[in-house]
Parts: sequence; structure tokens; C-alpha cells
Amino acid sequence: MKEETVTDAALRQFLLGDVDDEERQRIESLFVTDAQARERILTAEQDLVEDYLEDSLTAADKERFLDLYGSTSAQRQKLRITKSIKDWAAGEQKAAAAGSSVSSFWGRLTARLGLKPMFVIPIAATALIAIVIALVWLNSRTGERNRQAAFNQELARLNEPERLRETPAGLILLTLRPGSVRGVGAQQELVKAADTQIVELRLVWNQKEHYPGYRAIIRRVGSNESLTLPPLHADNDGNTIRLRISAHVLTRGVYQVELSGTGADGSTGPTEEYQFTVSG
Amino acid sequence: MVRDSAIPPESFDEILAWLNADRDVAANLYVQLRDDLTKIFNWNRCSDPEGLTDEAFDRVARKVHELRKTFEGDPRLFFYGVARNLIRENPKKVKTQVSLENMDLPANPVSETEAENANLLEECLHTCLQKLSGDKRELILNYYAKEKQAKIRHRTEMAQRLGTSVETLRVRVYRIRATLEQCIERCLDRASRGKQ
Repeated sequence: MKEETVTDAALRQFLLGDVDDEERQRIESLFVTDAQARERILTAEQDLVEDYLEDSLTAADKERFLDLYGSTSAQRQKLRITKSIKDWAAGEQKAAAAGSSVSSFWGRLTARLGLKPMFVIPIAATALIAIVIALVWLNSRTGERNRQAAFNQELARLNEPERLRETPAGLILLTLRPGSVRGVGAQQELVKAADTQIVELRLVWNQKEHYPGYRAIIRRVGSNESLTLPPLHADNDGNTIRLRISAHVLTRGVYQVELSGTGADGSTGPTEEYQFTVSG
Repeated sequence: MVRDSAIPPESFDEILAWLNADRDVAANLYVQLRDDLTKIFNWNRCSDPEGLTDEAFDRVARKVHELRKTFEGDPRLFFYGVARNLIRENPKKVKTQVSLENMDLPANPVSETEAENANLLEECLHTCLQKLSGDKRELILNYYAKEKQAKIRHRTEMAQRLGTSVETLRVRVYRIRATLEQCIERCLDRASRGKQ
């Protein structure tokens, strides 16, 4: 069959009965004598049937199609058979897609990387372990962040100006003077009792300059952990800065406090240092 | 079409010999030519395409002894010429168009018989699919996986994966589907005869 003489469009017209007698006889002659032409016409017919079953034909072509392919019971049976094959294929594909939605990622990955199945299982297991470890780590990090957030909220609440005026049960006071770290003077000791709930530190400010705000950081000596207090304010005389923390935060050991003045523009002034020991 | 003749054995042998010297090849050509003529009668909207095909072979059989000596060229063209004469003689079949909506499709069985036929078709389909090799079943499955616009790209990619052209892929699928459809038709035919 000379390909240039019969296009796909011409074949479709022929199959829908929309050609003149001369063209019809030419194509039919090729159909019976040329094996290649025969297969090409039959595959074109296959495509036409498929388009009909997918409802992709124009109204006019659909009418022509039914006139030629759907008017006898035998023809309708052929259409039903073709439809059943298409439906089976579509159903199998849907079932396969639903069943492999989880594994499709691995399928694509192995296909892309050209991995053999024997390597896939160890890689998948390793990846799964890594994911579990990451989740545990993230969970612990999240837990730690949550604990820290709760602790900061508690600190902020304890150091609210109106609360600082109250004297709750279980409160003990400890006044600290600067310079204890350097061994100037006796180190103050905090002895916690069983009912001690809140510790109030009264930090004496010896600097001449007074500041609208102060920032305090508490560290346990020998530990990397530190505790930053919310913005603090001096008492009325301007020489004492009070801060409160929960007693359970302070365990046995030596603690160091850094207190800095903070200007109205956010600038940091001089720093005083304090030290105390927790026992009991 | 009412017919009262059959091809005599000696004429049948002469037709085969005329189609090809190799009797096996000739037998295949004979079967294919019958199918082709039936299809041509169908394309020309003739009533009783199978009956007309029989008639075409009968007419050739009556002249085959002379034709083998006188006709030059592909004998299949002579059969086609006879078929064309029959098409001219035969009135076009009455238009009995049935729309898809009115067709008793397996997906929408409306009566017990239709439901039974739908089940039978499904059984035959699965029986015949089992007769296909795994590769062929997979090919058919993938080929018909997509519809409408999506199928064009899908089949192009499929042909590339198989290292062939879309045209060759179409022909390959056509052959598998033709085998499958023939198997289903035979299965349905056996089942309907079994019920009688």
C-alpha cells in the first residue's frame, strides 16, 4: 500500500462510508490484495470503534458509525465484546493503581535509579529506621520546646509586677549582693524546705546608673544550661531588682546570676554578677 | 440470502490451487479472503454479508476451471470483482440504527436475559484472557489503560518503551485483540448452542 496515497483521514472517511465509488474500490482492492494495507485499514477501524466507545465521535460520524457497525445483532455483539475488553483493561488499571499507591513512590524511585529489587528492601528498611529516628528526635525536640514554653510562661507569670507585690505560701527570700563570684564576701546559701515552692532573689544593684529595665540570666555552675528571666524592673528605691523562680528549678549546686541594665533604646548597660548555693 | 448450492470438492481444490501452489498457504488465503469479502459487504451496508460471501465463492467455483487458464493477475481481485457485482445487484439493507443508549450493553443489563448474557460475556472474556500469554495480556492491558486524549501520549510512550513505532504497536494490539475477539465469539457461540 502506498502510504502517501491513503491517509488516516481518508481511511476514516472510507470506514464511515463517506467516499466516492472510485476511492472505495481502490481501497477495497488494496484491502484484499495487500497484507500491509489490510492491517492498516483494520487498525484504523479498531481506532474508530474505540473512539465510538469513548463517545469521541461527532454527532454526524456517530450516526454514520452506527449505520455501519451497529445495525445488526452480530455487529452489536462485536461492539459489546470490544467494550468488555476495554472495560476489563480500565478496571485492572484502576485496581492496580489503588493497590500500588503506597508502593508507587518506590516503584518510581527504583525505576529512576535503576535499582534492583534485592537492594530496594535494605534501602527501604534503612530509610524507615531513619524516618522513625527523625520522628523520635522531632518529638523529643517538640516536647523540649513545649516544656521550655511552659516554663517561660510560668516565669513571666511569677514576675508580673502585681504578683511580685503578693506574698504567696511557700515563698522564701534570698538577698544577693554583687561580686560573690569573685569571692568577695561570704557566698549566700539557699536552703530549700519541703514546702518551698517559690524562691525570690533580691539582687542589690550597686551601680550609680539606674535603668528602666534589667535582664537577668541564671546559670548553674558546671552546666551549659541557663535561664533567662523576662524583663525586670527595679524596686522603688532603684537599688534592688527582684525576681522569682519556681523552687523545683533549683537543684543542689552553685548558681551564678548576671544582671544587666537595659536602656530605653534597648542598649545594654553594665553587668553585675551574683552567686549563691542551693542546698536542702 | 437463500442459497441452494455448495462448492463441489473438486472446485474447492481448484480454488485453493489457484490461490497458491502451497495448499497450506492457500487454505489461509481462502479463510482470510472469506473474512475480507464479508467485511466489504458489511462496509457496503449489504444485508446478509455472510450469505453474499458464500454466493461470491459459488460463482467463482462455477468458473474456476476456466479462470485458472484465462485470468491474469491476483485471483483475489477476481473474487473482489464478483463481490462488487453482488453489491450492485443487492439492495442496501434497511437502516436499523441502534444508538449506544439503546444497545443492551453489559454494563447496564435491564433484563434477566441481558444480565445472563453480560455474565456469559464476562466469563468468556476471562476464559479467553487466560489463553493469552502473559506478555500479550499485559500489552492489551497497557494499551487500553487510558482513554481519549491521554491515550495518545500514553501509547507513544508505550511504543518508545517497547522500542517500536506507534503504528507497529497498533498492529500488534490489533492482532492480539482479533484473536481474543474470535475466542470470545466462539465461546459465546458454544454457550448459546449449549443452552438450546
